[in-house]
Amino acid sequence: MNAPSMRQATRRLLARRPKRLLLSLGSGLVATAALAGTVGAAPASASLRVTHHSAVQLTEDGSSLLYPLYQAWAAGYGKSHPGFSSTSGADGSGTGIADAENGTTNFGASDAYLPPGTYRQYPTIENIPMAISAQMINYNVPGLNKDKLKLNGPVLAQMYEGKIRNWDAKAIRRLNPGVKLPNLRVVPIHRSDSSGDSFLFSSYLAFSDHGSFAGRQGPSTLPSFPAVEGELAAKGNSGMVAACAGAKGCVAYIGVSYHQDIANDHLGMALLENRSGRFEPPYLKQIEAEAASFPRVPANGSISLIYGPAKNGYPIINYEYIVVRKNQPSAGLAATMRAFLSWCINPKHGNSTAYLDKVRFKPLPAAAERVASKLISKIR
Amino acid sequence: MAQEAPGAGGKRPLEGRGRSLRVLRALLGAAAGVPALALAAMVAVLLVEAMPAIRYNGLGLFTSGLWSIGSLYSQPVRTGGVLHLVGAHYGALWLIVGTVESSALALLIGFPVAYGAAVIIAERLPRPLAASLGLCLEVLAGIPSVVIGLWGVLVLGPFLAHDIYPELAKLPDVPVLDFFRGGVGSGEGLLTAGLVLALMIIPIIAATSRDLLRQVPRAPKEGAAALGMTRRETFKAVQSRWIRSGVAGAAVLGLGRALGETIAVALVSGSQIQNPSNIYDTMTTIAATVVQQLDSALTDPSHLAVRSLAEVALVLLLITLAVNSLARLLVRRSARDVALPVGAGL
Amino acid sequence: MTSAAASERTLHWAEERTAFSRRLAEKWSLSLTVLALFLLVAPLFWVLGGVTDQAARVWSWHMLTQTTATGGLANAIVGTFVLLAGVLVVAGAIGVGCGVYIAEWAVPRRRLLLRGASEVLSGVPSIVIGYVAYVALVVGLRWGYSLVAAVLALSVLVIPYVAKSTEIAISQVPTSYREGAMALGMGEGHVLGRIVLRSALPGIVTGLTIALAISVGETAPLLYTMSFSNGYPDGHLTHTTMGYLTYVAYIFWDEPSSADQNLAHVAALVLVLLVVALILLGRLLVRLTQRHSEGAGG
Repeated sequence: MNAPSMRQATRRLLARRPKRLLLSLGSGLVATAALAGTVGAAPASASLRVTHHSAVQLTEDGSSLLYPLYQAWAAGYGKSHPGFSSTSGADGSGTGIADAENGTTNFGASDAYLPPGTYRQYPTIENIPMAISAQMINYNVPGLNKDKLKLNGPVLAQMYEGKIRNWDAKAIRRLNPGVKLPNLRVVPIHRSDSSGDSFLFSSYLAFSDHGSFAGRQGPSTLPSFPAVEGELAAKGNSGMVAACAGAKGCVAYIGVSYHQDIANDHLGMALLENRSGRFEPPYLKQIEAEAASFPRVPANGSISLIYGPAKNGYPIINYEYIVVRKNQPSAGLAATMRAFLSWCINPKHGNSTAYLDKVRFKPLPAAAERVASKLISKIR
Repeated sequence: MAQEAPGAGGKRPLEGRGRSLRVLRALLGAAAGVPALALAAMVAVLLVEAMPAIRYNGLGLFTSGLWSIGSLYSQPVRTGGVLHLVGAHYGALWLIVGTVESSALALLIGFPVAYGAAVIIAERLPRPLAASLGLCLEVLAGIPSVVIGLWGVLVLGPFLAHDIYPELAKLPDVPVLDFFRGGVGSGEGLLTAGLVLALMIIPIIAATSRDLLRQVPRAPKEGAAALGMTRRETFKAVQSRWIRSGVAGAAVLGLGRALGETIAVALVSGSQIQNPSNIYDTMTTIAATVVQQLDSALTDPSHLAVRSLAEVALVLLLITLAVNSLARLLVRRSARDVALPVGAGL
Repeated sequence: MTSAAASERTLHWAEERTAFSRRLAEKWSLSLTVLALFLLVAPLFWVLGGVTDQAARVWSWHMLTQTTATGGLANAIVGTFVLLAGVLVVAGAIGVGCGVYIAEWAVPRRRLLLRGASEVLSGVPSIVIGYVAYVALVVGLRWGYSLVAAVLALSVLVIPYVAKSTEIAISQVPTSYREGAMALGMGEGHVLGRIVLRSALPGIVTGLTIALAISVGETAPLLYTMSFSNGYPDGHLTHTTMGYLTYVAYIFWDEPSSADQNLAHVAALVLVLLVVALILLGRLLVRLTQRHSEGAGG
């Protein structure tokens, strides 16, 4: 390119729009800085969102089991209380608890009650029982998936410890007289992610067999499962269902909300031995019986409902909790939260079968409802 | 501000321009400092966050494979000034091993594919076809890792477990192939993770190798051809030497990406903290563990679980920083100052 | 038969053999590269086909208009775009600024340092960025789950890509352009704004598209900075949750209701479509701006 043409080119360039690029770049940087400034001055905790007259938006995060029900509750309550809405997330029970502790969200949702250490560290935190859920023990043994095999804690523990390797093992045959069990390798499946389901399952193993690995460790959302050859791990309940459907000989623990997935994949559902030595299915009557066998609910709502004394009870059931801070930044926010939670545990509203049946949850027994009401009234 | 030609076309006084330029320069300088600042901030935050865990875990983090949050419902106790749950023990050996194994596997599988494809795209295919394959590379690089992960767990994993792994497991009973024998599992495990990771690093390596090949000058190639060399021989003598260290850099860059990949690995690795007994067995990596355990860790009232995750995140950060620096170094040494695409082949 | 003839024949045979083995090697290496190409392309279409198949089975149009509360993805799609807008502003400004500074003003030693830091940052695992953002911004600075924390986390992730593309694009602007402009007496700022950046625009656009394509598909930096919401974005910067597509794909896959699981599959497809659209848009923009800048450059 020779000099004159170069100059021409440059002139043409100059004739075009002025320094728009530089301007936009500079303003972008300024906007970024301004953004950082605004945010730095933002209020310090999740607070009442009054967008216009009496419109309130609450936030919730936590258990993926409670997520669908909470969503239905928020929608149902919003219908009769215009202006109310609540978002919800499903990041897991532990995150829900932490969210409530940090004030990141208004509510946390958890399948497990708070550890005692948490109460000591966050004295203003409480967990409120909201409904009852149960856990199925599922299996995939071709030919026997409709037969509801009988299992108990010690046998399950040994399956997960690798001590019972075959479905025709003596211990399983003894529980299922008359059933022709195949010579099939047991494939225990456990959750790979942290989970309230693992907490419930390890509680059942721990309470029914103190000598098992779970008994030694204590219940945990992240149990250290012994290494067993051929075992599987899966993420989430859906992962458990998929893994079990694909692995003959599997045994898995899955939330009762997933009953439809179990039916779709034709997996078996075990009858579980309760403390009275009877084998029961996770049906309404058995869940209610189990819940009724814990008539005394502690004032803080923290109690395990697993392996109770009920004669006809199903032994793995639990309260689903909403975790919340007792002291709220404003009286108005506290009042909204109280009203909403009270509506949720009301057997005529949130605790009616219209809401609970879809996820196979059960309503709170009267005693638990009273405790929950008291806990709700502490939100100020 | 070198030019000293007042009046030639300036309608405004020079000082005014100079001041706004200085402001702009300061603004852009600040922007340029952001990456370094972000890096330093990340290391600092992780270090502070991990401090109690570093004290509690000591060297056991690297020598022990037992990773246990402890008894969640026990009252936290204090050891050596650090609050922890009864039975808490954090040994990250298998996390580190799993991270390295799955990434190495990904490189082993992905590199030949990526390099071979790059060679044919750059050397043999007509331009339009090469261009559309370039688009394929971009799309492959752009597929979100959660999508690849879901595909891996819903489609690839079951397929491998039913149709491929059982055949692989029948490989002859020689000691070298021991790793291929034994139970094949559900399709979630080391090999599946390696394959999925390979898929994710192939576009990076392929696109970089292709670009490097296109920059090889024509003269030596023509010279080699004039000597009667076949295309393969020319390639060996000219192109492959020319691009060698650049390609090595691209490979290491891909390795870096594989080491840090989170969501896809969380979905297809089986997420078991253990030393896999064979190549199909479940395992996990540091990144996957952080994202999957953070939830439970947050429940730990002693906070040691969260802090131990910070510690392994720090370890991961340092590993990837080292690997990436190595990649950059290799590329710098490359024959040409090839701009290594930071983009994943995009 | 003389020994000379015999040795000649042996030689001939040897030559032929070499020629044969050379041809064989040629064919062999070609077929290996063809195989490699197949192994690259086949999984791509397998993934695309698998994702489309899973989504097509459960697809319905109302998923585009309803929120996740009522069996749709609208709020997640809107949220994803809000995140993209945030990234475009923050990472765009900082990234381009960073690239311009490195290319234009930094003295060699500092340039090496700044560029090195940016390149190394591009290798930081996204979960590490997400974790630090959670600890430092969400909990530490008490922003709560917030749009700002999410946008900052994503931006830190993609700034290196924007910076690098900008830097390369600027370094490829012919020196004669600058010299010409300088000769005409333009100030440094004018040269930069009117000549250099304009010519470098295609490269900068490419970088921004890459940044957006990466942001669309990220999950790990958002899980613990943004959480999730069934509603539309509420316009707040902090203490707010918001829906986005990767969350639906990663988390809803595990929800008990099949309606939610279906959403995960559709979200995966929408994600792929968004990425492909961004890549095509990027190419289109590059072509447009290229014509523009070339036309301007004469």
